[in-house]
Amino acid sequence: MSYVDAGYIVAIGGSFLYGLSLFLRRRRWERALRVLESSPEERPAVAEHP
Amino acid sequence: MTDVSTSNGVAIRTPWRPRWLAVVGIAAVVTTALTVWLGLWVTPPDEVQGNLARLLYIHPAVATVALYWAGGVALLGSLLYLWPRTRAFFWDRLAASAVEVGAVFSALTLVTGSLWGRPVWGVWWTWDARLTSTALLLLLELGYLALRRVPADPQIRARRCAVAAILIAIDVPIVHFSVDWWNTLHQSGTILDPGFNLHVHGSMLWTMLLSFVAFTLIFVWLLAMRYRIEVLQDAVGDQELEVSLSERWNEDAELVGVGGSGGAVDGDEVRGP
Repeated sequence: MSYVDAGYIVAIGGSFLYGLSLFLRRRRWERALRVLESSPEERPAVAEHP
Repeated sequence: MTDVSTSNGVAIRTPWRPRWLAVVGIAAVVTTALTVWLGLWVTPPDEVQGNLARLLYIHPAVATVALYWAGGVALLGSLLYLWPRTRAFFWDRLAASAVEVGAVFSALTLVTGSLWGRPVWGVWWTWDARLTSTALLLLLELGYLALRRVPADPQIRARRCAVAAILIAIDVPIVHFSVDWWNTLHQSGTILDPGFNLHVHGSMLWTMLLSFVAFTLIFVWLLAMRYRIEVLQDAVGDQELEVSLSERWNEDAELVGVGGSGGAVDGDEVRGP
């Protein structure tokens, strides 16, 4: 692999991986919010916290 | 969409899903793909640097996002939060989001620069003014993110972070002018020299400009995604508080029932089973 290829992979791959991590973090927080918004009967015994 | 009241008493709508975000995401993918195609296959090798010049379609654009876009949004958000007339948690969340995205792009700037420096300068790293001030920028951004995790009242945390973001912003002109103020290994302006004369021409220029557009779109998309997480975090924090208070309220009510008072004490409202 050349320095050029490595540079493109780092820049674009790094941005993509960070975007993916944001997507997964957002899903976890949305799930946590849904759990907290549900009624106490529907809520699991231990709410999963991101 | 759900309305959630935040700690600052302002109702926020979550999940926040602006329609333009999908358009920005698609445009970012298309422009990035075009940049890669033009940068790796269409543009000719440089007369002096050969194929290594192809890294310059990536590195300056990444550095622009880290330095000017992220730094600018963080400074603007922090100043508008500190200014009493415009104080709103929106600005604090926006600044925090910009600093995190900026930290990622500062790290990418250092790595891509290092990948270019090794074959051109012969070293992975040197204590050059431009490189050192960029590394300092990354450290300051990491410090800001650490400060944000320190438990505190939301208003105190926002004020502390706004001051920290201003300290980060002080480093931005130092990074920019470092190549003019000190003798550095790093070259001065990549596209324009101090006399605003173009260094780059033809397909190389268009590819470089396209890379700036691509990484700017990537920045906008990442910033919006990160902002959305900030909104959700605040909403979850408030909901947790509400749930804790409600559970405590129920426990108290049960104790009152067991104690044989036979009902609520004056002024107390017993909720739930």
